[in-house]
Amino acid sequence: MIDLKFDLVTKKYLIRQEAPAGDSARHPLVRRLQNLRRPPQEFLAVKNVSFEVRRGEALGIIGHNGAGKSTVLKLLANITAPTSGEITIDGRLSALIEVGSGFHPELTGRENIYLSGSILGMRRRDIGGKLDSIIEFAGVRQFIDTPVKRYSSGMYVRLGFSIAAHLDPDILLLDEVLAVGDSAFQAKCLQRVKDLRQSGKTIIFISHDLSAVEKLCSRVLLMERGEVVASGAPAEVIAEYRRTANDFVPSGPPSWSNEQMSRRAEITSLDFYDAVGRETSTASTGSPVTVRLKYKSHEQIPDAIFEVFFYASNGELKCQLSTGLSHGRIDLEAGRGEVEFSCAELGLQVDTYYIDAAIQRHEPSELIDWQYRCAMFHVGAGKVSRGTFYMPHEWRITQERSVSSTESAELLLR
Amino acid sequence: MSIDVSSAPVGGALSGRKGDRRVTVIRAPAFSFAGMLQQLTKLVEYRDLLYTLTVHRIKVRYKQSVLGLSWAILQPLSLMLIYTLIFSVVARMPSDDIPYPLFAYTGLLPWTYFSTALSTATNGLVSHSHLVTKVYFPREILPVTYVLAALFDFLIASLVLAGLMIYYRAPITLNFLYVVPIILVLTIFALAMSLFMSAVQVRFRDVGVAMPLLLQVWMFATPIIYPLSAVPERLRPIYDLNPTVGVIEGFRNVLLQGTPPNFRALGASALVSLILLPLMYIYFKHVEATVADVV
Repeated sequence: MIDLKFDLVTKKYLIRQEAPAGDSARHPLVRRLQNLRRPPQEFLAVKNVSFEVRRGEALGIIGHNGAGKSTVLKLLANITAPTSGEITIDGRLSALIEVGSGFHPELTGRENIYLSGSILGMRRRDIGGKLDSIIEFAGVRQFIDTPVKRYSSGMYVRLGFSIAAHLDPDILLLDEVLAVGDSAFQAKCLQRVKDLRQSGKTIIFISHDLSAVEKLCSRVLLMERGEVVASGAPAEVIAEYRRTANDFVPSGPPSWSNEQMSRRAEITSLDFYDAVGRETSTASTGSPVTVRLKYKSHEQIPDAIFEVFFYASNGELKCQLSTGLSHGRIDLEAGRGEVEFSCAELGLQVDTYYIDAAIQRHEPSELIDWQYRCAMFHVGAGKVSRGTFYMPHEWRITQERSVSSTESAELLLR
Repeated sequence: MSIDVSSAPVGGALSGRKGDRRVTVIRAPAFSFAGMLQQLTKLVEYRDLLYTLTVHRIKVRYKQSVLGLSWAILQPLSLMLIYTLIFSVVARMPSDDIPYPLFAYTGLLPWTYFSTALSTATNGLVSHSHLVTKVYFPREILPVTYVLAALFDFLIASLVLAGLMIYYRAPITLNFLYVVPIILVLTIFALAMSLFMSAVQVRFRDVGVAMPLLLQVWMFATPIIYPLSAVPERLRPIYDLNPTVGVIEGFRNVLLQGTPPNFRALGASALVSLILLPLMYIYFKHVEATVADVV
């Protein structure tokens, strides 16, 4: 059963570029008329996108800002029409987008339930039947006959969500709406969505919140520049998304300037190699990895320290390795050289990492060179299932084989 | 899964029942009669929203004002007093031997309905951009609710007319029943114009700015403060092209003279309105398909 189908859907926007104000000394009206005559630029927000959603599936759509997610959402919700292609929706689709937008501040909570409910496509008698449940869910019983302009923002949002949550769609379209209210209310909302899923509703969830997508969805689409670039199991697609570097949030530029670096030696390259010595930019947790750092020293430097930093995609420093701690003293000769860091079992978890490399001295303290974000390294799923870190390990299984306990041993192994 | 793909609707969605689930196909906007009919069934489906939104529009309008509902009466009433002062006390304006206050009010009442409907509905789409860009519902509901809310005001203000008619002992005949078709024609015309203006307003905000001026000119081009008999005969062919002429003159005839309306003039207004409404609806639906991108 296909509930929803996108068939080669394209959405084109026309953008009229305005002439810069200082362009000419002509009258603004003349300029405006000239702007109207300029051929508008085409912008393809969604390009030939095709996908299908089966009944009962929970599909997540992720992507960077401007990737076309919101346009897909608007097309699905019939807010805007496609330029070409066809969207087929089997069943009643309700969009749960920015709740509370249908509220009128002068009207009471009760009146707004009717207003907002009918905007979302509910019949009046259905709203009447669900009124108690809506008020209960929102927790605003005491203020239900107060104009909503007197509501706190939390009450406002809760009432808005509560109305939307009482829609009875076959297909539910979710935006970032789960990020409303306090954590208790959020949990309630998430539960509501999970219940809907359990009851066999089809769900489309468009979000930046990757962990929510991973928890809720059975399949994920990754969009980039208006196209679907990946589709599959949530963990894989989310890892793919993280690999595309754009969402990287740098922890801020280094606080030191070039003048602070003596540059008596310089790092010239940093590369990763896999178990068989091939250059790579990906590895999986628990597999062997080698990092080779090439440098060029302009003079003799006694007691130099090499350091490598691994930053996760959210900018957090995950690991800092230093020859000062895990290697002995290094005295650099003038000329070129290579430092190799090899690791039998990679401890980093699934993510995209950004690497800083540095040469410095501790006594006396001297920053010789610091290469900021000089490499990117992707770690895929490997010998770890869940948790925050991997530890090198071995398993050993001992079994006592006796005639009578064969069965129980087999049971244990299962 | 089989879907009726024989016709592409205007502005997007085409629906068909299949069991208890409904199959909707959304396509690029293209005109077809079947698509138009589908749009109308959607409108019927959303009739609760039409009702709720109209009621709330009326409620909101009077909720925070001290005078409340009496504003619906005060507006045509104060205009009537002003025009009476000018054209009956200061200058002499013929009024077909009808007391001027009654004469003016009878013209101003339907005109206020029309102009309120049109001027509020013009902004209908733009002022609801927060909804239009987020939720789907047949957009024509927005301008239509303004027309219906204005119709409600008209009914309230009619009470004053009844009072004036009793006071001035206007002859009341069965011909007053013609008021119903006359107001129906005016409503159809107001709907057509509101659909058109609100759709144009999305792209060209100039329309909203020009609206008060347009309505002012339009009012003087309609026999409201002066009688139709004062219009020079040679100008009549052009003058009568204005659909509000037949309506307002008819409204006044059936109420104040107790005669049937001029069927030729009213018929012309009705014809124009009935041709305009579907055309404007098609235009509106064409704009609706991309309104969320522009508004």
